[in-house]
Amino acid sequence: MSEPERPAAPNASDAAGRPKIGVDEWVASAEERHERSRGLGGLVSRGWEGSPAEAKLIVFVALASTLPFWMNEGELFSYGLYTLLYALLALGLNIVVGFAGLLDLGYVAFYGFGAYGYALFSSNHYGLHWQAEASIPLIVLGTAAVGLILGLASRRLLGDYLAIVTLFFAQAFVAFVNNSNPKVAGEGLTGGPNGIPGVDPLNFFGFKLHSTKQYYFFLLIVFSLAAVGLYFLNNSRTGRAWRALREDPLAAEAMSIPVNRLKILAFMFGAGTAGLTGTIFAAIQTGVVAGNFDVALLITIYAIVILGGLGSIAGVLFGAIVINVSTQFLAPSNDHPELKRWLFYGAILLIAAKIRPWSRTAAVFVGTAAFGFVVHAIASGISSDWTNGTVVDAGSAASAIRNWVIVPSGHTGFQTWAYIVLVAAIVVTSQLKGWWRMAALIPTLYWVAVVWENVLVQQSAVTALILFGVLLIALMQARPQGLLGTARVEIV
Amino acid sequence: MHLPLLNIIDTVRQLGWGGAFELLRNGIVLGSVYALIALGYTMVYGILKLLNFAHGDIYMVGAFLGYGVLSILGGPLAPTIAMVPLILLMFLGGMLGSGVLGVVVERFAYRPLRNAPRIAPLISALGVSFFLANSALLLTHGERFNYAMYQLGGDPNTGLPGPLNQPAFSVAGRPVTVVQVLVVSTSIALMIALTLLVSRTRLGKAMRATSYDREAASMMGIDTDRVIASTFFIGSVLAGAAGVMFGLYIGETYYLMGFLAGLKAFTAAVVGGIGSIPGAMVGGLLIGVTEAYAAGYVGGQWSDVAVFGILILFMLLRPSGLFGAKTIQKV
Amino acid sequence: MTALLELEGVSKSFGGLRVIDGLDLAVNEREIVSVIGPNGAGKTTLFNLITGLYHPDAGQIRLEGRNLVGLAPHRITKLGIARTFQTLRLFLNMTVKENVMAAQYGRTKAGPFRSIVRTPGMRREEREIHQRAEEKLAFFGKRLMGYRWDQPAYSLSYANRRRLEIARAMAAEPRILLLDEPAAGMNPVETHEITELIAKLRDDGGYTILVIEHDMHVVEGISDRVTALDHGVKIAEGSFEQVATDPKVIEAYLGIGAAEEEADADAAPA
Ligand SMILES: Nc1ncnc2c1ncn2[C@@H]1O[C@H](COP(=O)(O)OP(=O)(O)OP(=O)(O)O)[C@@H](O)[C@H]1O
Ligand SMILES: [Mg+2]
Repeated sequence: MSEPERPAAPNASDAAGRPKIGVDEWVASAEERHERSRGLGGLVSRGWEGSPAEAKLIVFVALASTLPFWMNEGELFSYGLYTLLYALLALGLNIVVGFAGLLDLGYVAFYGFGAYGYALFSSNHYGLHWQAEASIPLIVLGTAAVGLILGLASRRLLGDYLAIVTLFFAQAFVAFVNNSNPKVAGEGLTGGPNGIPGVDPLNFFGFKLHSTKQYYFFLLIVFSLAAVGLYFLNNSRTGRAWRALREDPLAAEAMSIPVNRLKILAFMFGAGTAGLTGTIFAAIQTGVVAGNFDVALLITIYAIVILGGLGSIAGVLFGAIVINVSTQFLAPSNDHPELKRWLFYGAILLIAAKIRPWSRTAAVFVGTAAFGFVVHAIASGISSDWTNGTVVDAGSAASAIRNWVIVPSGHTGFQTWAYIVLVAAIVVTSQLKGWWRMAALIPTLYWVAVVWENVLVQQSAVTALILFGVLLIALMQARPQGLLGTARVEIV
Repeated sequence: MHLPLLNIIDTVRQLGWGGAFELLRNGIVLGSVYALIALGYTMVYGILKLLNFAHGDIYMVGAFLGYGVLSILGGPLAPTIAMVPLILLMFLGGMLGSGVLGVVVERFAYRPLRNAPRIAPLISALGVSFFLANSALLLTHGERFNYAMYQLGGDPNTGLPGPLNQPAFSVAGRPVTVVQVLVVSTSIALMIALTLLVSRTRLGKAMRATSYDREAASMMGIDTDRVIASTFFIGSVLAGAAGVMFGLYIGETYYLMGFLAGLKAFTAAVVGGIGSIPGAMVGGLLIGVTEAYAAGYVGGQWSDVAVFGILILFMLLRPSGLFGAKTIQKV
Repeated sequence: MTALLELEGVSKSFGGLRVIDGLDLAVNEREIVSVIGPNGAGKTTLFNLITGLYHPDAGQIRLEGRNLVGLAPHRITKLGIARTFQTLRLFLNMTVKENVMAAQYGRTKAGPFRSIVRTPGMRREEREIHQRAEEKLAFFGKRLMGYRWDQPAYSLSYANRRRLEIARAMAAEPRILLLDEPAAGMNPVETHEITELIAKLRDDGGYTILVIEHDMHVVEGISDRVTALDHGVKIAEGSFEQVATDPKVIEAYLGIGAAEEEADADAAPA
């Protein structure tokens, strides 16, 4: 872009050489002061923001291309392929929520629509076996059309009402595919609760994708293209109009922006992207069932977009990596169960290490360790069945844990109470101040370990979902712009 | 090949007037549960303009708490406790527990976001809802717990109805059971109590002032944080009561029950006109009756879709709901 | 000659309150007309009616003979009327330049698909958008130039936000600019600057301007014609001197009985 030379920033300073508070220059440098105070983190984020988008893309594609050469098929499937799938899906949600600021809670229904669409065109359900180059564009357009209809129906709605209508839409979609009337179309349009099995692999002009590696590279290309396209779109007239309506729909309307039309457009683009991702998902899974498109997926996708930073394309990718990798780590089928434990304790230590000054951190760690041994000694003194339960997924850390964390056997209801006490303890601790807080932190931290060993580790998949919920709450308070987004200011 | 419409007409004819009455009855009972939940949505929305997604899950927790009391007191521990105090204790447990939970949720997830961008508390609410539902999943392993496991609703072994499921009276030869009367009358009583509270007490006045203009209210010396916490408490207490009522009536509680019920109750609040207390009641009944008729005449699996249809219809034709005032945005 | 903008018998009430009552108004090409009146007189409501944010209960609003009543706000802006907001409604989290670029939506064409593939036509248009945005910002001297282009609008000072509001309205390339209290909250130096700027807008920019202003020095300095409103009714119209000395206007500002005293003191209301 050719920009005429600009005058240098004015340098109005008072005697001390700093701008006076409140004058234009002070306001202007507010951001800078903020950045400077953030030390290393600020440096990294400035470096990141400073590098051009092309460079970021090239670095990503280069790194991502190496994955298939050092991962086995299973790892590539769960860590590589699924990360890209989630990233592509989140890219579409980012248009609606991030660019245009519309809270669309029916997003996964469009994903489902795409997946079912592909399954209908390319399986034995109706005996159709279309080529992907024909079915995918058709389905993407069809999904965008559904987005158009939903958008038209809710075009006048404020943010909150839109949220509820779309959430209900997703629910109605699941109800529909689960129950689509057998009397109308033999087997039922969607195969009911059994879904549609035996979906064909993607087949372009007779070339069938069959290995995970091929799907991975295919998705990498699709994701990169989509990311580039959306980057351009975001930096165009349309993208600016979306941002304007997100900031202030009424002012946008007064500045010649047709707000309703742009909202619907965002809906359609989001829906189309979800539909596209759905077709690929159906092919990868070789089948679809209604349960794939539930609220858990919705939250996962939201967690991705929000963690990375609403409106940031790089953030979407970053969020997808973090969320998918931790989901896969905590999945019950993970081949390295002891990894879960290290991940969990590592995360707790990292959070606890945020306490300042360092002497306090050390005191809390030592105190927690000692506290554990004391509790353990008392518990085993009372009765041995308080400590002789089996440690799940023990691995190498088993013996240490056995002597520190109480794992009772045969005390029914212990798990429930332990969990409730933990939640209450966290609530109380966060309300305390100063030394009281430090004092409460020690038993709370120990109790985290107790609950992990007794409850969470056995149901680590549910734990992942709980943590996503907590992540959303915590992130909204600590860093609502996500990790890579820019801080937004709202003056009311 | 059948036409679905003909099916429906057939069913209507088969069920006759008696069947129609039964569906109406079921709808009213279910609708009074929705109405109680809807009140919580409407109150919170009125005061904070926040769609509290977690409200449905607080209702779910209320149902579990009621079950907890029942399983402790009504089970092997104290089989002799009389039914009336037992039910009262269940309500007390469910309502108080839910109320406290509501206040805690407000304190943790919403209060820090008072001045954040509009979307932040919504996402936080989504997180709370997800946290509560999955915590319940964690603790219950996804099992369904049934109030009818205990003598309250009848003998689970013989299948004989207990005192709650005896007919209280009948209309056109169709019975109305004690528990149905109990549910409807309890919710009417609670709604009257709420209406009095909002219109007659100091707290009610402060709530109305806060919902009209929070900033102005706080400048007039109203402790708005406390008013908001009280609103959450009251709304959650009502949701807890609704949870126990649902447990007594239908029997089953499980971790996902809050999601759909919350969605429908919010629809009821929107249909009635968000922010309006009588609106929530009427909306709840309308949704309950719609659901019952859709289930009876079209098929149970379609009832959600029918309620969704109502929501869309209202959004298109009367977005301010039955009792809601049309709002004009000042520029 | 027919006027560029014409209002005829326009009325608007909120609930029982008549905020605009049978108002007639005409603004000619390249004229600067000031609207004055005490707080709550209905001045901002008048702008909201013209720009389509509110719909009049009765009456006609015409731009070059073309009826505007019932059109969506973005259509009206496209037809040639752009405004600023008294309460400042900038796109706070967009950069200064983007604020101005966004307002060119109605003047540009490239659709989303052309933007994704970046066709040559789209890129040309994009360059023009940048260039025009820079022109508009340059109108304010150095105030909105240079490093400020890439700063978010929220980081601007109050006076600069008012300027950016004007720049953004200009970017919609209207024939008529509606300025709602452009000098509010500015210090005397800045106020003087705004007065000159408004004249420059008409002389160099060629805009027709309808401006609401409370500062009588500004009104005196810029107006070809002044219209005074009170309770939604036009109580006086004419040159600044005529309106400023009109007893009804003085009464509206200072209360009943004030007119006689003021006439003795022979001073304009300030
Ligand atoms: N959307 C609305 N709903 C109800 N009343 C309104 C609305 N908009 C404006 N009013 C009322 O109309 C009257 C005129 O308001 P308006 O903003 O037009 O005044 P104004 O002349 O611009 O005053 P000021 O000089 O303070 O800006 C006021 O009493 C105001 O409260
Ligand atoms: Mg005004």
